[in-house]
Amino acid sequence: MTFDFVEPVVFALLSIGVIAGGVAVVMLNRITAAALLMAFTFLCMAGMFVLLGAETIAAFQVLIYVGAITVLILYGVMFTKFGDRPRALFFQRQTPLAAVFVAAVAIPVAIVALSFTSASPRPGGGDLIALATSVFTDFAFPFEIASVLLLAAMVGAIVLTKRDDPEEAALRRRR
Amino acid sequence: MPVGPFGIDPFVWAPLRLVIAVGLALFLVLNGALLQIYLERKIQAIIQDRLGPYHVGPFGLLQTFADALKLISKEDVRAKATDGWFFVAAPALVFCPMLASWVVLPFAQDIVGANLNIGLLYLTTLGSMTVLGIVIAGWASNNKYALVGGLRSAGQLISYEIPQILALVSVVLVVGSLSMLDITRSQAGPFVNVLILPFSFVIYFIAALAETNRTPFDLPEAESELVAGWLTEYSGMRWGTMLALSEYGNVTVVCAIVTTLWFGGWQGPGVEAIPLLGVLWFTLKVYAFILVMMWIRATLPRLRIDQLMSFCWKGLIPMALVNIAVVAILALAFPTTKIPIAIASWVLLVIFVTGIPIVQRQRLRTLRARARAAAAPAVRAAS
Repeated sequence: MTFDFVEPVVFALLSIGVIAGGVAVVMLNRITAAALLMAFTFLCMAGMFVLLGAETIAAFQVLIYVGAITVLILYGVMFTKFGDRPRALFFQRQTPLAAVFVAAVAIPVAIVALSFTSASPRPGGGDLIALATSVFTDFAFPFEIASVLLLAAMVGAIVLTKRDDPEEAALRRRR
Repeated sequence: MPVGPFGIDPFVWAPLRLVIAVGLALFLVLNGALLQIYLERKIQAIIQDRLGPYHVGPFGLLQTFADALKLISKEDVRAKATDGWFFVAAPALVFCPMLASWVVLPFAQDIVGANLNIGLLYLTTLGSMTVLGIVIAGWASNNKYALVGGLRSAGQLISYEIPQILALVSVVLVVGSLSMLDITRSQAGPFVNVLILPFSFVIYFIAALAETNRTPFDLPEAESELVAGWLTEYSGMRWGTMLALSEYGNVTVVCAIVTTLWFGGWQGPGVEAIPLLGVLWFTLKVYAFILVMMWIRATLPRLRIDQLMSFCWKGLIPMALVNIAVVAILALAFPTTKIPIAIASWVLLVIFVTGIPIVQRQRLRTLRARARAAAAPAVRAAS
C-alpha cells in the first residue's frame, strides 16, 4: 500500500474548502464572518500551492492575504458604522441570473477538466531561487513599476485622509 | 513488505510520525510555558529584592503547576453579548500559528520537524497570522477596551513585523539560504553571525520584544489605560491559552530564531562527537535569550502607544532599511569576504546606540520650546 491516495483526498478537501468558503463569503449576512471565511479560503488556496510544489507562493499567499489583507478588511469593518439592517448584498434577488452565469462558466471548465488526462505538471521543489532570479532579472522592470504604483497609492491615501492638527494650526497662526 | 524507520511499516509510520511530532511540540510548549512563568516570577523577584513563589513545593517549583490546574478547573465564563463562535475561535487562531512554527525549529543536527527550504519565510508567515486572532478576539469580546486594545495590538504587531523581516533579510543575504538548517551550518566554528551582523541582531531583538508583547512594549497589559486590552473578556483556560501558552511559546520561537540566525543554533563544543549534545546547546542558548527578555521586563518601564509607533516608524524601519542596503551593496562588492560587512554593521550599531540619546534630547528640547510657546500668551494675559 502506498500514499498515492492522499494527494487527491487533500486536493478534494482543499477544493471543497475554497469553493464553500467563497460561496459563504458571498452569501453570509455577517460581514465579520465573511472576512474570516475569506481568510479560510486564502489558506485553502495556499494549501493548493503547496500541493503543486510551490511553497514560496503559498507562504506569500498566507503572509499577504491572510496576514495583511484580511486584517485590513477587518479594520475597515470595525471602523464602519453598523446599522440594524443585516449586511446582505443588495442584488441578492438576482440569484437565478447569477446561477445562469455561473453555469455558463463552470460547465465548460468542468468539461475541459474532465477530458484532461495527462499527468499534472510539477515544478521541482525549491522554486525559490528560480523565482528570485526571474523577479530580479527578467521581471525587474514590471516589479519596480508595481512597487512605484503601490507607493503612489500609499501617498495618495495619506494625502486623502490627512487632517491638519487644529492645535498646530493655531500655533502657526500665532507666529 | 517495505520496512520504514525503527522497523515500522511506512504506512503506519507516516501518520504516527505526525502524531509524535504534534504531541512533542505540545509537550514542549506546555512545559516551556510552565517553566518560563516560574522563571519569570523568580527572576523578577530576585531583581526586585523579593522572595517570589516559595510555598508550593521546593523553591516554589510547583507553583505554576498549581496555577495551571486552577486555570483548567475554572468556570468557562462567556458573556452573553460576545460574538459566539468568534469568541471561541480567537484563542485557537492565536495558538495554532505559534504551534505550527515549531515545525522548522532545528533543535539539533537531525532533530527538526521539517527542513523546509523556505523555513524563515514560513516562520514570518505564521507570525503574521497571529494578528488575525488578536483582531478577532478584540472584536468578538464586544467590549470597548477589548476592541481598542485589539486594534492597538494589531497595529503594533503589523508595524514591528517590518523591521523584523528586514533584519532577517540581511542575514539571508549574507548566508544565502532561507533554510534554518543551512543557516546554522553556515556558522561552524566561533565566527557566528552576530559578529558579522550585530546591528540586524539588535533590530530583530527589539522588534521581537514588540512582536511577543514583552516589556517595554506590553501595551495589552497597560491596566491603567485598557484594563487588559484584547484579553479583557477572557478568563480560565481561554485566557491561559492566549496569554500564557501563546505568549511564552512565541517568546521561545523568537529566541530560537535569534539563536539559529545569529548564535550558531545547536553548534557548540562536542557536538561533532555526540550529536544529541546539540539539543542541550540549543536549549541553553534559547533560555539565555529568554532570561535577557525577563531581565528587560524587570528593568524598563513601558512605552506609550505613540512613542511605540514613532520609535518603530521613525527609528527602527529607516535604520533597518539602511542596514539592508549597506549589507546588500557590500555583499555584492566583496563576494569572497565578510569582513567589510562586519565592519559596516558594527559602525551602524555604534551610530544607532549613540544616536538614540542625541535624537531624544533634541526632541525633548523642541517639545519643551513648543510647550513654552503655547503657555506664553496665557502667562502674559495673567500678568
